[in-house]
Amino acid sequence: MMRLRLVFPILILLTVAPSVYAQALDISSGGQPTITGAVNGSVTGSASVLDNLVVTINFGEVSPLNTNAIVKVMVPIALRSNQPYQVSVSFSGLTNANAQAVQASDVGFGIQNLRKLGGAGQDCNQSTHIIRSPFNNDPAVTATVGSNGRVSYGSSLANLSGSTIVLSGPELSKNNSSKRQQSDGWIFDAIFTLTPQFFAAGVSSTTLIFTISPGPNVPC
Amino acid sequence: MPPLATKRGQATLPNLFGYETRQTHLCTIMPRQITKIALLTISLFLSAATVFGQSTTGTVSMSATVSKFVELNSGGAVTLTGNSGGGVTTDGVANSPLAVSINLGELGPSNTNSFVFAQVPLKLRSNAAYVLSMSATVTSSGATSSRIVAADVGFGLGTISRSGTGVNTTGTDTNATSGDPTLAANGAVNGTSGRYEFTAVRSNLSAFSSATTALSGPIIMNAVPRSNANGLTVPAFFAIKPQFFENGTTTISVTFTVTAP
Repeated sequence: MMRLRLVFPILILLTVAPSVYAQALDISSGGQPTITGAVNGSVTGSASVLDNLVVTINFGEVSPLNTNAIVKVMVPIALRSNQPYQVSVSFSGLTNANAQAVQASDVGFGIQNLRKLGGAGQDCNQSTHIIRSPFNNDPAVTATVGSNGRVSYGSSLANLSGSTIVLSGPELSKNNSSKRQQSDGWIFDAIFTLTPQFFAAGVSSTTLIFTISPGPNVPC
Repeated sequence: MPPLATKRGQATLPNLFGYETRQTHLCTIMPRQITKIALLTISLFLSAATVFGQSTTGTVSMSATVSKFVELNSGGAVTLTGNSGGGVTTDGVANSPLAVSINLGELGPSNTNSFVFAQVPLKLRSNAAYVLSMSATVTSSGATSSRIVAADVGFGLGTISRSGTGVNTTGTDTNATSGDPTLAANGAVNGTSGRYEFTAVRSNLSAFSSATTALSGPIIMNAVPRSNANGLTVPAFFAIKPQFFENGTTTISVTFTVTAP
């Protein structure tokens, strides 16, 4: 009797574990990130959609020594869920006191190219995936020179306040696999841009955290 | 006496209070089993999550470097006045690298103008405090002290202008020269030798036989792209008083350098 009493909870927990972790809500790499227009810059991240999302971007030189029009980084991000979801982003760092140094508003940030990750990505016809305003743009395209001569974007890191929802929608995965798979969700491109300018000299850095969590309860 | 065996096959030491001892023993064993099982359960639960390899968060770290940047370009076309013959051989083109060539023409008494005077517009841009220095060499074919030498070539920087979108207008630029060398305050005929001399501080090229600061100041540009064509502009003045110089030809070479110390 004692053994049975203990074995039951174990079985229940083990049964529940996969359904809690697998496919419930998952964010991962969506493929190899890319960088263009950089001088001494780089981007590292896994090309595998089975790996965690851990990307390091070095925009490189962004003074006028970089004569390219813009430095652009595309980071594919994969999402999986068996329930409505939302993706929020927060960032820390980038607190330059000098207004002429790189500020959050100088780093363009947009979301584009939401697409299925293979055949097991869920097609919902009662709800759509929504890229929240103002992030539905390619900041390399929406970049403009403001009245003060400084470049601004359709959206930037300055549009992030605390943990900001940037994307939401219905469930993303058809199956209920207990593992990440190559083709069981959706992917979007997070696009980051920085235009070389006469910024005050120095090194700037920041870290963004992408989080997927249960979203508004919309039907599939 | 051999040890007593319990129903679970566990051995207990015999004593007078066997029942009570066995009960105590069971009470000790049960928590251990529960602990072991609980740990096993947690371990399995956590390993399940690990095997599934899923996560609700991801990180993107980014960094960027801004190095000090300075540049010197032409501020526009050269103006040459008071010349007799000569002319601007290679003119300045605004926002292009400075590479100007001027033929000052006749500098002997046959040129009756007070001065042969050239203005060369300079444009500076930087994202840091800057220093503009200059060095000059003057080479004449003459062999006597009456040949044209560095001291006979007046030099100065004119009015400094910081204007236009994206230009930092705070702070003060320091002009280390005396300005327009043709001003009466900056030169006169030497009462003893009769030769005209540029006497003010850093008012002739003899003060720039090696790289010497001519202008310095704070950051010039705000955070704007390089395509923004504005900047700090300042005219560089060169002047020679036509005199009874020894005949011959003279070559004057001037190099401007801007740095961000």
